[in-house]
Amino acid sequence: MPPATALSKRALPSKEATLFKELLNLYETRQLKKGSKTADQILKKFPEHGETLCMKGLIQTHLGKREEGLELVKKGIRLDLTSHICWHVFGLIQKGEKNYEEALKSYTQALRFDKENLNILRDAAHLQTQLRIYDGLVETRHTLLRLRPALRQNWIGLAIAYHLNGNIAEALKVVEQYEAILKNVPDYDVEHSEVLLYHIRLLEDLGQINEALTLLDVNAKSRAILDRIAIMEFRARLMSKLHLDDAEHTWQALIEQNPDCHDYYKGFLLNRGIDLDAVTDETRSQALQCLRDFSAQMPKAGAPLRLALNIAQGEQFKELVEPYLLAGLEKGVPSLFADVKALYRDEHKRRIIEDIVESYREKCAAVTPVPADPISVDPTAYLWTLYFLAQHHSSLSRHTRSLELIDIAVTHTPTLPELYMFKGRVLKRCGDPYGAARCMDEARVLDLQDRFLNTKCAKYRLRAGYIDQAVEILGLFTKKDASSPSADLEDMQSLLYLTEDADGQLRRGNLGLALKRYTAVQKVFDELEDDQFDFHGYSLRKFTLNVYLDLITWEDQLRSHPVYIHAAISVSQIYVRLHDDPSLGTSSVTAGLTDAEKKAKKKAKKAAQKVQEDSKKGATATSANEDKGLEPGPAKDDDLDGTKLLQAQDGLEKAAKMLAPLSTLAKDNVDAWIATYDVAVRRKKYLQAVKALNSAKALSPEHPELHVRLAHFQKTMSSAPQPPPEPVGSVVSNALARLLPVELSLELFNAQYLQRHSIDAASILAAAKVSRILPVPREEIESTVFGILNPDVRPDIKTASQAVAFLQEIRSPRTDEFKVACDARFELSTIFKSPSEIAALPWKAAEVDVAADTQGKTEMLG
Amino acid sequence: MSSPIQRSPLRVSLSSLTPNNLGTVRKLNSVLFPIKYSEKFYQDILLPEAEDFCKLIYYNDIPVGTICCRVETENGKTRLYIMTMGILAPYRSRGLGSQSLEQVIASAASHLKPKIGSISLHVQVSNPAGKAFYERHAFKEVGIHQGYYKKIVPQDAWILERQIVEP
Repeated sequence: MPPATALSKRALPSKEATLFKELLNLYETRQLKKGSKTADQILKKFPEHGETLCMKGLIQTHLGKREEGLELVKKGIRLDLTSHICWHVFGLIQKGEKNYEEALKSYTQALRFDKENLNILRDAAHLQTQLRIYDGLVETRHTLLRLRPALRQNWIGLAIAYHLNGNIAEALKVVEQYEAILKNVPDYDVEHSEVLLYHIRLLEDLGQINEALTLLDVNAKSRAILDRIAIMEFRARLMSKLHLDDAEHTWQALIEQNPDCHDYYKGFLLNRGIDLDAVTDETRSQALQCLRDFSAQMPKAGAPLRLALNIAQGEQFKELVEPYLLAGLEKGVPSLFADVKALYRDEHKRRIIEDIVESYREKCAAVTPVPADPISVDPTAYLWTLYFLAQHHSSLSRHTRSLELIDIAVTHTPTLPELYMFKGRVLKRCGDPYGAARCMDEARVLDLQDRFLNTKCAKYRLRAGYIDQAVEILGLFTKKDASSPSADLEDMQSLLYLTEDADGQLRRGNLGLALKRYTAVQKVFDELEDDQFDFHGYSLRKFTLNVYLDLITWEDQLRSHPVYIHAAISVSQIYVRLHDDPSLGTSSVTAGLTDAEKKAKKKAKKAAQKVQEDSKKGATATSANEDKGLEPGPAKDDDLDGTKLLQAQDGLEKAAKMLAPLSTLAKDNVDAWIATYDVAVRRKKYLQAVKALNSAKALSPEHPELHVRLAHFQKTMSSAPQPPPEPVGSVVSNALARLLPVELSLELFNAQYLQRHSIDAASILAAAKVSRILPVPREEIESTVFGILNPDVRPDIKTASQAVAFLQEIRSPRTDEFKVACDARFELSTIFKSPSEIAALPWKAAEVDVAADTQGKTEMLG
Repeated sequence: MSSPIQRSPLRVSLSSLTPNNLGTVRKLNSVLFPIKYSEKFYQDILLPEAEDFCKLIYYNDIPVGTICCRVETENGKTRLYIMTMGILAPYRSRGLGSQSLEQVIASAASHLKPKIGSISLHVQVSNPAGKAFYERHAFKEVGIHQGYYKKIVPQDAWILERQIVEP
């Protein structure tokens, strides 16, 4: 029991008690100004009344006076630690700040003093779901159901809680009991229909297929389940599982309903014992026959034709793929190559496709010059054939051939944007980002209102480092009243822009801005995670259970998104570099900026500040009485160029936090483990480091970056003044012994590695990096790197430019020599050229020369 | 507003010019004609009154040609003058030009304020095929303009003309 003093302090004389009730009402109806006045009235007589102080604080927060409000709330709690109102208010504010963990603590406190408060219980349940505290959730939902068994959503809430907690059998029991007590369901009730589908899903998950099918059939017939497609899909799947004769019909009906859904064909065939994803020699001909029948039945459907290509082989494949390709080329399907590329995993199929399309091209090329026969070959078919082949050859790294074909196509029809776009892509692959950007611009000017072309062009400009010019294009799509296009793109959560800009800033050495943009990516994912909160209440209220459960699963996998992984790894690499060389933190802010850019930056900074000030002024002037809710407004951006992030003392901790989700969500990604190691070893978390190395080794034992890390770890441990304390020390040394043969010296370990991979460029570079760790004289490191240029080594552009970066890092005087050699080796590339040569490259589509020909006009005026 | 694209069974369609697709017109002009056109030309073809007479010609959804005319009034008589008309080489002899020309003529015939009496153009004397094309569409040679072209040879051009009858 709370001490008597607190209770007596809480009790108010009847006049004030009435006022307090009124205050609560006023808050509920959001009459904030009046509420504030009422609170003041109470406080005049009882300035230490905790609950009133808290309510006033809550109202102030709603009115936008966040700091003052929070102060009042904290004071109120101190004065009345056993009031559920005080804790509830505190919890509400913390929830508004998205501080879910602390909010749940406050709610738990509030529940100690008012165990059966429905509002608090419901909010607590939402917080527990958000925080994935499923044991607690089950308990809370139980309490809610006990208190209000007549409310339908309380039953479903409990079932979902069990489900999320992994107890499907209990979930089923709850749903069954719920249905048993249900009375007077109106006809065509969507909510009931959802519950029934959920019920069937539970039965299916528990393996009670017969029961599931019966339930489905009964309720489909009585029209209690309304989603016709869901009925058909469930039915087909359940019947297949039961091996019923009718199953095939159900699949057939689904296919007729939507002949382009690959899954239906898979289901149909699986029902016949044919697994389309693992066809055997026996099932192949049956499957093909089936698909052929479907094609005959539905001549317009593309799916059966395309699926047949996956499984057909040899002559049969050739017979099938030829009409498929020719139909696509004659119709002019721009995505034809993307469609069939998946077949290239089979080299034999790839050759057949090449032969067919090449011979079609020869046929077209021979026919087109004769215009007398206009029907035989459409000129656009020839054009799409050239386009297809250009993509085909480039995908096989035959870039020169690809460019030749594009040039023929451009001569034939210079107005097809796809040609210039693809040329840009080929140039990008050849290491010419500047030419690539120019080609994209050429495509763009053909159709300035095409969003896709504009976006692509902006992306290519970012890749080539034309950042301002890229933002100019992106600005076509952003809100005109935003402080800058990039601010709006950040608000709109454009991952494409944030990632590409971050990468671009990183390439030009502006680590601060790069960190800022990568951090913005991270924030987007945090927001996506926060966004689910509302659905914990909404989905139960609306009974949209099945999609809700899918949403929860999706949110749990959220950070397996490639963009997040890329951002996390990049951030960790930057912080590792800053840790190893703190001078970068002070020098790189302005690195790579010309004077003009610096000026532009200052201007942008001023403009951004002005916008912020304006919006502040506007806010205070217009809406002192307005309800601003409990969520804090957008925080003021006081780190415009990322300097604060750059100079953060806890960089490695930040990196570790960003990388943490990857250990479960990207556990097949070697780079993620390497990044985890890099951060862990510098934070002296040796067990984590060992785990990362072991995981990387299990995935790819000879990975070049792993080789470098193994040596690094060995060196770090052996040169440490003392081994890590027990029990960690012996675990680490045992692990190290397994990772690296003890009897080998690092020199020998490195030499053997280099020998094993003597013609692989990335491995050679790794060996050079290890020899730097050993260390050996710079000349020796250099000569190892130059091994990449041996004629039998075939480096790709990426490895070659990493080698250049490494030479720059060790301040090698031979860097330029290496670059010149690369420039010669990669004929079409421009990235190895000197900065002045690069600056001289044209980057815009050739503009029509205005001054050149006024003559033409007079001639035409005639 | 009339719809910008009119479909026909020949997979041919015409589309109006906008500042956004002007780049395509420039590209076509640069490969179709030996003459470089001035910025004034590109401004004029975007004028709202020119919309019915300046078109991009699409074949299978790819722009492969263009026709650009302007309305001229001289001595109280109004005529349509074809400034440029061209189809990319691989797409010729498929009726694209004829179809586009007929459509422009139809637009001219239904043009009221002012009424258009005739339609005319210049064809370089080295281009008898071009001349024949227009003659198939009821154009008649009405004279030779000597030294019409300043920078390309031959410099002379036929003047072709067709009277427009009301529909």
